[in-house]
Amino acid sequence: MSTRRNFLADIGMGFTGLALGSMLQAEKPTGMPHFAPKAKRVIWLFMIGGVSHMESFDPKPELNKYAGRMLGDTPYHAALDNPLVKQNLREVIAGLHKAQPRLYPLQVGFQKRGQSGIEVSDWFPHVGGCVDDLAVVRSVWTTDNNHGAQMQFHTGRHVLEGQFPTIGSWVHYGLGSLNENLPQFVVLGEPIDTCCGGPGAHGASYLGPEHGGVRLEVKPESPLAYAKPFVATTEEEQRRQFDLIRGFNRLAEVEYPDDAAMKARIKSYELAFRMQTAVPEVMRFSSESASMQKLYGLDQAVTKPFGETLLAARRMAESGVRFIQVFHGNNGGAGKWDAHSNLKKTHGELAAQVDLPIAGLLKDLKQRGMLDDTLVVFATEFGRTPGAEGTNGRDHHPYGFSVWMAGGGIKGGVVHGATDEIGFHAVENRHYVTDIHATVLRQMGIDPRKLEVPGHKRIDIDFGEPIAAIIA
Amino acid sequence: MFKAAIVFGLALGLRAETPEAVKLLEARCVGCHNGATRQSGLDLSRRETAVRGGDRGAGMVPGKAKESYLYQVLAHTAKPAMPKFGAKFSEAELAVVAAWIEDGAPWEERVVSAVSKVKHWAFEKPVRATPPGPGNPIDAFLGAERERRGLRAMAAADRGTVVRRAYLDVVGVPPTVDEMARSATQSYEQVVDGLLADARYGERWGRHWMDIWRYSDWYGYRNASEVRNSQKFMWRWRDWIVEALNRDEPYDRMIVEMLAGDEVAPEDPDTVRATGFLARNYSKFDRDGWMQDAVDHTMLGFMGVTVKCARCHDHKYDPISQEEYYRMRAIFEPYEVRVDRVAGQVDPEKDGLARVYDAGLDRPTHLLIRGNIQTPDKSKDLLPGTPTHLGPALGKVAAVALPLAAYYPDQRGFVHADLLAAAKAAIGKAAGDPKALAAAEAELPALEARLAAERAKFAEPPDLRYEELAAKARELERKAGLLRGQEQALKGQAELTEALSGEKPNEKKLGEAKKKLAAATAALTQPATGYTPIGKEYPTKSSGRRTALGQWIGSKENPLTARVAVNHIWLRHFGTALVPTVFDFGLNGKAPTHPALLDWLATELMESGWSMKALHRLILTSEAYQMRSTAGAEGHPNAAIDPENQWLWRMNPRRLEGEAVRDSILSVAGELDGTMKGPDIDPTKGFESRRRSIYFSHSADAQMEFLRVFDGPNPTECYQRNESVVPQQALAMANSQLSQELAQKLAKRLEGPAFVSRAFQTILGRLPSAAERTLAASATPGNLVHALFNHNDFVTIR
Repeated sequence: MSTRRNFLADIGMGFTGLALGSMLQAEKPTGMPHFAPKAKRVIWLFMIGGVSHMESFDPKPELNKYAGRMLGDTPYHAALDNPLVKQNLREVIAGLHKAQPRLYPLQVGFQKRGQSGIEVSDWFPHVGGCVDDLAVVRSVWTTDNNHGAQMQFHTGRHVLEGQFPTIGSWVHYGLGSLNENLPQFVVLGEPIDTCCGGPGAHGASYLGPEHGGVRLEVKPESPLAYAKPFVATTEEEQRRQFDLIRGFNRLAEVEYPDDAAMKARIKSYELAFRMQTAVPEVMRFSSESASMQKLYGLDQAVTKPFGETLLAARRMAESGVRFIQVFHGNNGGAGKWDAHSNLKKTHGELAAQVDLPIAGLLKDLKQRGMLDDTLVVFATEFGRTPGAEGTNGRDHHPYGFSVWMAGGGIKGGVVHGATDEIGFHAVENRHYVTDIHATVLRQMGIDPRKLEVPGHKRIDIDFGEPIAAIIA
Repeated sequence: MFKAAIVFGLALGLRAETPEAVKLLEARCVGCHNGATRQSGLDLSRRETAVRGGDRGAGMVPGKAKESYLYQVLAHTAKPAMPKFGAKFSEAELAVVAAWIEDGAPWEERVVSAVSKVKHWAFEKPVRATPPGPGNPIDAFLGAERERRGLRAMAAADRGTVVRRAYLDVVGVPPTVDEMARSATQSYEQVVDGLLADARYGERWGRHWMDIWRYSDWYGYRNASEVRNSQKFMWRWRDWIVEALNRDEPYDRMIVEMLAGDEVAPEDPDTVRATGFLARNYSKFDRDGWMQDAVDHTMLGFMGVTVKCARCHDHKYDPISQEEYYRMRAIFEPYEVRVDRVAGQVDPEKDGLARVYDAGLDRPTHLLIRGNIQTPDKSKDLLPGTPTHLGPALGKVAAVALPLAAYYPDQRGFVHADLLAAAKAAIGKAAGDPKALAAAEAELPALEARLAAERAKFAEPPDLRYEELAAKARELERKAGLLRGQEQALKGQAELTEALSGEKPNEKKLGEAKKKLAAATAALTQPATGYTPIGKEYPTKSSGRRTALGQWIGSKENPLTARVAVNHIWLRHFGTALVPTVFDFGLNGKAPTHPALLDWLATELMESGWSMKALHRLILTSEAYQMRSTAGAEGHPNAAIDPENQWLWRMNPRRLEGEAVRDSILSVAGELDGTMKGPDIDPTKGFESRRRSIYFSHSADAQMEFLRVFDGPNPTECYQRNESVVPQQALAMANSQLSQELAQKLAKRLEGPAFVSRAFQTILGRLPSAAERTLAASATPGNLVHALFNHNDFVTIR
């Protein structure tokens, strides 16, 4: 910040400039962690539409036993009367998504995997092979039983309450940069659709657009448009020109102290200058060996797109990007994982797209020693109903679902929390989505209560509580 | 009996009971045995396939449970014992299944519930309240809300800022130095009137409406000229939009013309252009998706309701039943797309008018069970209709008798004239090639004879010489065909010889020559069967359904249309919308921040005769529009109460759209080519062509990179643009050929005394401060201009 003050003084801004310089300084976090961090970076994988927890990381054999029975006719009939049904729920439209009482059998088998013997479905054999590195939280709940829960998973607030800073933007806001040449908060994959929050799931809301996620395309052949000046320019000349641009913008900034976009634009030029070389470099997959490409599934059509995305994510993590938010399953609507029908076919296909690449990412991080300080999160907006919707689908289910984390000082091979025998309610060690945020921030060395922005009071549930039991 | 009772119940809109046995199958069996998974080839999700059975044999013998394989495997009297997962069916359950099969296995999949009316602000007609104060009603309504919250409106921004704001907002480029000087001699109202009368208004706002109306140029296989989506020559619809806005065509009329220009003005190609709105939905391989887009986006764009949920089931938020969804589809069911010839071009591949027309007037529309095109409910043909609770009843649908020019467009005089001219030109071209000349010379009288026959065929009263003329046309055409055949055969033979002559036969040429030869041979040997008509004949009637829909949407009784339009216009003046969910006014959307203002403006739009320009004028001349966009020093009391400016106590600074950024660079550099309208331009030529950005191709396959970087519109759906600030934009502004070369060019143009002042005035519309002058002194002219292009305020509506 002293550079800003010097700058303003240098160009003779006098008193206003100086006063403003110190004022801007006061509102910013220092960029240093508040306490010793366990993780330096986060790779946040988000499956759009709602992954069935029972058919991924929380198998429920009782569903096969009571397949086709009305819930009321099974020993688990109390689930529907559980007060959590009402307490958990904040519906946009009352009665929209029902609990679907007719139990639906598991559409895929499952097995105990790894040393830990954690049960994982047969749609995730490769991730299952890494289960000893995962902490599976089987007791997450949210409040929206519609896809506004996608944005809610990132902001911690119900969609009816509006847009709020996302977990990635808090990390960006709180921490300094590890690599000045790349955005610190990158978004890969097609983000959630406008139906469900759109850019709100990687935005920064009142923290200002400079803290929002920067979308990059994983196109190894042309990773960044306008990466070079059209007229050949030496780096020094170009640096001088960028300094000139910054000079004018900073002079104007003084006039508009409340314009967040202006601040963001000034920063974007700094970053742009450095990205010119850094982004093409980070997307240069050709420097990866054939076996490495295979590890991510780049050799198979089904796994290639997500594999390339995760390989880019790893290379960015390696280069110091703080928060890499990866989306899977945009379909221009609620999301591909939204299996109201044909669950067996669609979940089977989607899992095949992501399973091997995710396992590849985990193994790769591990072999590089990066898993120790890279936190990987696998999440979705809610689970799916234990009961059938129509003939072959499952409806939305906010009462209990699974999220897993790996690396970054998180215990491996553990299951934390549980849903009941049919996967209806999170019954043990229940966690609202902001507990996931709190855990991420804890591992990154951030105390979110120290980041509060004047005029934007946060409430307890916004902060959540770190899940101590899975922290190593 | 059982079945009949159910059908009757459905007709009354009652809830039909699904038989218990079907429910059991659905819950216990269909997970594996459905249309998609078909374990053992068996699909138990429909009666037909359940009876047919799978790989292991017939499924059911309706009426005979014990003989039905399905029952046997469930009862474990045959293998494999089912269900594979979960418990065996209980005795009681088996009894249910048995009784049901004995009963003939009645199967009713569909459960229909008539949706009931819900009380929701947007579904009630807007009520015009008296403005709570004097002056511009916008200020009165906004002022009342501010006052309630202890907010004070910011003062007006300085005149230069407001004029620049209005220019960027209304015409999409900043004022020139001259325009700025002239504005100082005028009242602000005069400036506003001047801008709204400026033809560039249509280009600027045309692009906004193109977002909402999903403008897309055609795409598919460009090399093979195979149109898979949208249509060629879609630009004619774009030109119609620009023109309609500029002449301030009433919005309700615009809606009718876009949906049914071919019905309301069948002889006026200029109006028929408007149906590009529907032609744009064309999808070569997916008629179902095409129909869905027509229904979904007509309702989204004009009425701000998401109806698509009702494709598969009754809408869960809004009062739209599944049946009503398909009644809307019935409105579009007959329409198809065609390309009519335009004056001056006989080849409709090269230029033409892409438009819609009703082809299949008797095509039935069925409700698709679970939205699946494979499972139509053929028990009931659905008549066209609109959702009962979203507005007034749909008006009477009256079929439209079309004039000859519409159902046989090639009978129009200019087509005949163009064809004759082309035939004459062909004679000129063939000079020096006796065979070709002979063919061309024979083709002209043949064409003349065909045209004469055509005229007789459609003459009113009937021309008795038709038979005779047709015979003559046939004779002459046959003669010409023989000559052309000989000429082609000879040419083909020669090409064949040439292709084979070289050391390596030219495979491609060889193929072409052989093809030509084969065609010529066919022409020579085939007897002519009557003369070839000049063009294609289309149905003589249109269903009138789309006209009825357009009138329903544009009715003053419709509670949504005016509100949705007002909201879109407001959003693009203020940066925030009155209803934040611009694409959803239904129960899942957000409530308006200023409901009384929204309603007042909606009624005002209707009462002004749906004049958009009147609405723009009202907004632009409000005090709210002219406020400063910044509170200045931090700690302004308003900021503590309403930091997000929800209550509009100041103007919102906005980032320009990519189109306006590019156009502004060209404009200030004096390089903008103001040519309006015409065919779409290759989007990779965004530097070479200096036309406005609206004129470049824009489709899912091709978009100008520069525009994409600035959150360019998704041609599939864009009801509101994003306003991101990302480094990629900085790179585009700093590194592109556009900004770099035009910076040099502009610097040259501005060379001379007071360069720095003139650069600031030209690019940012203001003089530099002392500090800015100091900074500018260190830069070369080119670098200074380039830096000012990259100034935050160049891409900002301040």
